[in-house]
Amino acid sequence: MNTSIYAKPIMPRIVVRPALATLLIHGLLVVLLTANWASMDRERIKVKPLPNLVNARLVDVSDLKPKPQKKAEAAKPVAVPKVEPPKPEPKPEPKPEPKPAPKVEPPKPEPKPEPKVEAPQPKPKPKVEAPKPEPKPEPKVEQPKPEPKPEQPKPTPPPTTTPTKQSSRDALARIAQEELSTVDSTEEAAELTATADEMSASFAALIKRTVQSNWSRPPSARNGMECELEVQLVPTGEVVGVRVIRSSGDLAFDSSAENAVRRAGSFPELQKLPSGEFEKKFRRLNLIFKPEDLRF
Amino acid sequence: MEEQLSLLDLVWNASFTVQFVMAILMLSSMMSWYMIVNRYIYFRNANDEMYRFEERFWSGIDLSQLYREGNERAADGYAILGVESIFRAGFKEFSRLAQQAEMDSEALIEGARRAMRVAVMREEERLERHLAFLASVGSTSPYIGLFGTVWGIMHSFRGLANSTQATLATVAPGISEALVATAMGLFAAIPAVLAYNRFASKVEVLSNRYDTFMDEFSGILYRQAFAVRSRGKKAG
Repeated sequence: MNTSIYAKPIMPRIVVRPALATLLIHGLLVVLLTANWASMDRERIKVKPLPNLVNARLVDVSDLKPKPQKKAEAAKPVAVPKVEPPKPEPKPEPKPEPKPAPKVEPPKPEPKPEPKVEAPQPKPKPKVEAPKPEPKPEPKVEQPKPEPKPEQPKPTPPPTTTPTKQSSRDALARIAQEELSTVDSTEEAAELTATADEMSASFAALIKRTVQSNWSRPPSARNGMECELEVQLVPTGEVVGVRVIRSSGDLAFDSSAENAVRRAGSFPELQKLPSGEFEKKFRRLNLIFKPEDLRF
Repeated sequence: MEEQLSLLDLVWNASFTVQFVMAILMLSSMMSWYMIVNRYIYFRNANDEMYRFEERFWSGIDLSQLYREGNERAADGYAILGVESIFRAGFKEFSRLAQQAEMDSEALIEGARRAMRVAVMREEERLERHLAFLASVGSTSPYIGLFGTVWGIMHSFRGLANSTQATLATVAPGISEALVATAMGLFAAIPAVLAYNRFASKVEVLSNRYDTFMDEFSGILYRQAFAVRSRGKKAG
């Protein structure tokens, strides 16, 4: 009370709040920096050899008539949004599409529009089957390895496409075209509702499929080999870098995997992905190559 | 699978000098933030106190009553700051001098003003505390960070000279680690500079207010002094 004005100045104690604020700010900074850094997880995609499956689709002659076609289309919008994951499926289709015209292709029995290819020739013609929803789930069924083997002998039948008349062939092509366009439009609609996770999952599946189809294994490939590649993508979907980050031990195998990615070249579908999702999962991508179905 | 470079790994695996620089910067950043918040609270309190006291002072209250109230608060252990301490210094000196009959009114005013000027000085000193530290953190920590960076890059390039195969991968971690030091320097410096500028202008404003108050109060004391002396002359 009786302190003179010349006494030591009294400073109010302001300690606790500044100290707390300081610790808070620096703690937050450290947490933010380390968390961001660590959470850059990459998508890992396992690439297994593409089984030599006949990817056939049953298109019936009865479909050529307009009425059933309408019905089938009406039914589709209901069915398609459910079957989300295989969405990118139609993309690879356009390539095999023109092929039905020449009709003769012993190496790749892939083409879908081939109507009477599957197994017993007489049957498919009269059979009225729901043709479109069928092929969608098929790619999933392809995965199991045991199956491809028994089916391998079958691809020979395709050339026997005598029953198809020229007119029906054109009609078939038209149907396939229409089908594609409807699938495209439904796909767009579904895209709006698709969550980012679903989209990235389907794009991962697309990348996997594209790389698989471009992969030709060297003869030195053995079961149990595994090599991991790091693929760098840019938002346009182009591959800008491929690097082996874990070698299988076999140089030829590694370079065949590398070549598969290089040959795939680009995945333009990735442009549809929101950029945040792209940065998170696809900017750097790890691909694991495994020849699992080899018998030796 | 390659190890992801994490920021913490970068800091922990840095060379000793760079780590030392980082420690200095971290410390100065923490201290400057401590002082920023401390000053912020202090200035806010000083502002509030000033408004509160001036309102009371101009409400027509008896000045000796105001002085006694301050005495009570000081006895309770409150630190009396800002305008009120200026008022108390001036009033105390004035009343002490007024008790001495040989003092004329000019001497009374002079004495009170001198005491108040001292109090204003002390207040300004309190306001400016820590500001010098903020200023030096703001101006030097970028350089300290830069020193750490240059040192780290020097090291990583020396490592490059020894290795036969020069790839980016041999220098990149070193450079990355070195750049962390610059980042930390900037992180420490930017808030310190901003806060220093803001607080310096606040100090300016507050000390102007104190000067104004001192003049206003000495005007009142002037009147008082002449009243006291003329009464004394009549009585004497």
